[in-house]
Amino acid sequence: MLFSSIPFLYYFLPLVLITYFAAPKKLKNAVLFVYSLVFYAWGEPVYVFLMAASILSAWGLALLMDRAKTQKARKILMIISVIISFSFLAYFKYADFFISNFNAATGLSVPLLKIALPVGISFYTFQIASYTIDVYRGNTKANKNILDFGTYVVLFPQLIAGPIVRYVDIADMLKNRTHTLSKTAYGIQRFCLGLGKKVLLANTFGELCSIFRESNEKTVLFYWMYAAAFMLQIYFDFSGYSDMAIGLGRIFGFTFLENFDFPYVSKSITEFWRRWHMSLGSWFRDYVYIPLGGNRVKTPRFLFNIFVVWFLTGFWHGADWQFIAWGIFYGIMLVIEKMWLKKYLDKAPAALCHVYTLFFTAIGFVIFNSVSIGGAFEDLKGMFGLAGIPLAGTATLYYLKSYAFMFIIGSLLATPVVKNVLKKVNSTEIGGKIIAFAKPLGFAAVLITVTGYLADGSFNPFLYFRF
Amino acid sequence: MKKKTEYIYTIIVAAVLIFGLSIFAVLKPADDFSESERRPLEKLPELSVKTLLSGDFMDKFENYTNDQFPLRDTFRSVKALARYYLFGLSDNNELYFADGHVAKLDFPINQESLDYAASRFNELYETYMKDKVNKIVFSVVPDKNAYLGEKNGYPQMDYDYMIGFFEEKLPFANHVEIFDLIDESDYYLTDTHWQQQEITDVAEKILVSLEARPFEDFEEKVATENFYGVYYGQSALPLKPEKIVYLTTPELEHMTVLNYETGLKGGIYNFDKLEGKDPYEFYLSGAVPLLEVTNSSAEGDRHLIIFRDSFGSSLAPLLMRDYSKITIIDTRYLLPNFIGEYVDFEGADVLMTYSTLILNDSFILKK
Repeated sequence: MLFSSIPFLYYFLPLVLITYFAAPKKLKNAVLFVYSLVFYAWGEPVYVFLMAASILSAWGLALLMDRAKTQKARKILMIISVIISFSFLAYFKYADFFISNFNAATGLSVPLLKIALPVGISFYTFQIASYTIDVYRGNTKANKNILDFGTYVVLFPQLIAGPIVRYVDIADMLKNRTHTLSKTAYGIQRFCLGLGKKVLLANTFGELCSIFRESNEKTVLFYWMYAAAFMLQIYFDFSGYSDMAIGLGRIFGFTFLENFDFPYVSKSITEFWRRWHMSLGSWFRDYVYIPLGGNRVKTPRFLFNIFVVWFLTGFWHGADWQFIAWGIFYGIMLVIEKMWLKKYLDKAPAALCHVYTLFFTAIGFVIFNSVSIGGAFEDLKGMFGLAGIPLAGTATLYYLKSYAFMFIIGSLLATPVVKNVLKKVNSTEIGGKIIAFAKPLGFAAVLITVTGYLADGSFNPFLYFRF
Repeated sequence: MKKKTEYIYTIIVAAVLIFGLSIFAVLKPADDFSESERRPLEKLPELSVKTLLSGDFMDKFENYTNDQFPLRDTFRSVKALARYYLFGLSDNNELYFADGHVAKLDFPINQESLDYAASRFNELYETYMKDKVNKIVFSVVPDKNAYLGEKNGYPQMDYDYMIGFFEEKLPFANHVEIFDLIDESDYYLTDTHWQQQEITDVAEKILVSLEARPFEDFEEKVATENFYGVYYGQSALPLKPEKIVYLTTPELEHMTVLNYETGLKGGIYNFDKLEGKDPYEFYLSGAVPLLEVTNSSAEGDRHLIIFRDSFGSSLAPLLMRDYSKITIIDTRYLLPNFIGEYVDFEGADVLMTYSTLILNDSFILKK
């Protein structure tokens, strides 16, 4: 089920809110658990059993780990649990990738499995793995209550598109959390903000990307418009989803960590990755990069560590070579920055650093959104005028004119400018009063407009559902 | 405002909206049909273990809740207005609003579609017309983009190319160019079609080519003043209804129209259709595979065969004076193989007239 859908907003959400707030404290997790399973089963009825198997195995093995007497036994149990979790991911997400590459390498024709990807499997696998590893490391105790642990894994606000919530961050909240007017009001506003980002902005930029893909007219300018539109689409799509998750979590008493921090204002690729999908970046840092030795090793080993992490980051996003290329691309960029470019960037004018970062981010996302490695090269050739295409054409100019204001709005909202202006206005007495009155009405207007978009049955895919 | 009051105010506004619309959605009886979109609405899907496990129930339930959402047309208008006026987008669902008209973007030329249409027309010629018919006239009907597009900054297809293409591919026909006889005011504001009372000059030009005469004088009558065209619903904009005007003569009033599909006979103008989902079907009953019109007032026994789309419905009556029999064929609904069973082409005049909208999306024409 999508957050940005009529069934969620006007059927599921009212029901879960009524039941949750009517339930006594000790039953609140049970309510969330049951509703989260319904939420998941709505899109993936059969995969609920896979989810149950993942929960049971991780929960049981963590309990055994707690009771194990030797460190070696604990380690074996941790490895078994991680292998089980990642086996599911490998089978359902990556089997066909391995088979098709095996076929290509050997000339054989092993049939593809063609299994539908369980929604959110990449997210909940990482959550389960973080729990298992943290129990092994002694960062947290194993949860003896299957319902509480199950609630952590299937909690619908962050189940299918993150942020990747670590057990240690919400372990206390699973047992004991408070519900206040301020949390609920903040949650509502954050949810509406995310909903607006997703439906009003991301989907509209997504339409332009689809128009570009379907158009017979390919021009240099249209390629760049597509690159810019996709950058804005993926940002508003994913950060919008994170806002909705954080907002819903807050309504139910949970505080999830932030996942985005205006990444497009970054002045380097290194900074960009500190602001983009922060929960994934920190997961790889804590569970892969640092265990491998991080940067406190000799240069060849450091390079190896970086490339392992960025290979895996790319591969996590999709079982295809263009995702791996995208990850490696960032690995290369980060190494270049760390070993050579950083000293120049530190001294360069801020505007130049922004242009540099946006340029390489655009290149990265064009690779990311291509259909294949070959497709990525075609797109890049188109962007740089190497495909023998004109600079502009009728359709290009029409869509440039049509989307001009959207690009301005999108670019502004992708920076903290509006947020900072509102903050400044809010700090004055009159401004504060106006904002206090207007803010709820503004969010109501967003909800009404979003409902209009949804009732019209418009274009509404979530990009991060495929991960 | 105190912080606590602000929180309560936020929660109340959100709760009224979400719970209010939720209760409204659950209690509202399901509608069968959307007048504005001219389509049946989704019903509550069947709930069973099978439909649940397959996911069919969920898919259909989402369509159902979208279709049956309370105040849906109002919400769709909110979306259309937001796209045009809040976000400054030039079109909504590929429809744009210019000079009081709603029009649909249709560009660029779809060469495959033109090739397909030319093949169908050549097949019809080879099968039924070659060495049999008297005259063949081909005429491309412009859509209103041809007049609204360029001057309002909207892209449009290359109409000159399309006309030239069919002139080259259909050498057996006399091509009648009518673009200069029309402008945007000849079309309904909320519909794709032209208005019958504005196209008498088009009919006259085609009739010259067929060596036939137009009616001497028409009486203009209003069929309805409450016509919402097809773009009205699609655009979701708050637009006013229009008049459907029709042209008639004593001869036209006495003609009989046989609908081969139903076996029923009626008149040129079907007043029952004014109450239907598409009042434009008032002209010759709209989308009908095969019609035969008998004109007992005609001098002689000339036969006119018209291959047409919906634009031809309002044009055809203006061409009938000199023909005792007029056969009207719509190959979007009739397989060409069956035409020979019902229509004798010997000595007939043939008019093939299709709009640019169909020619650029011609795969609907049957093979």
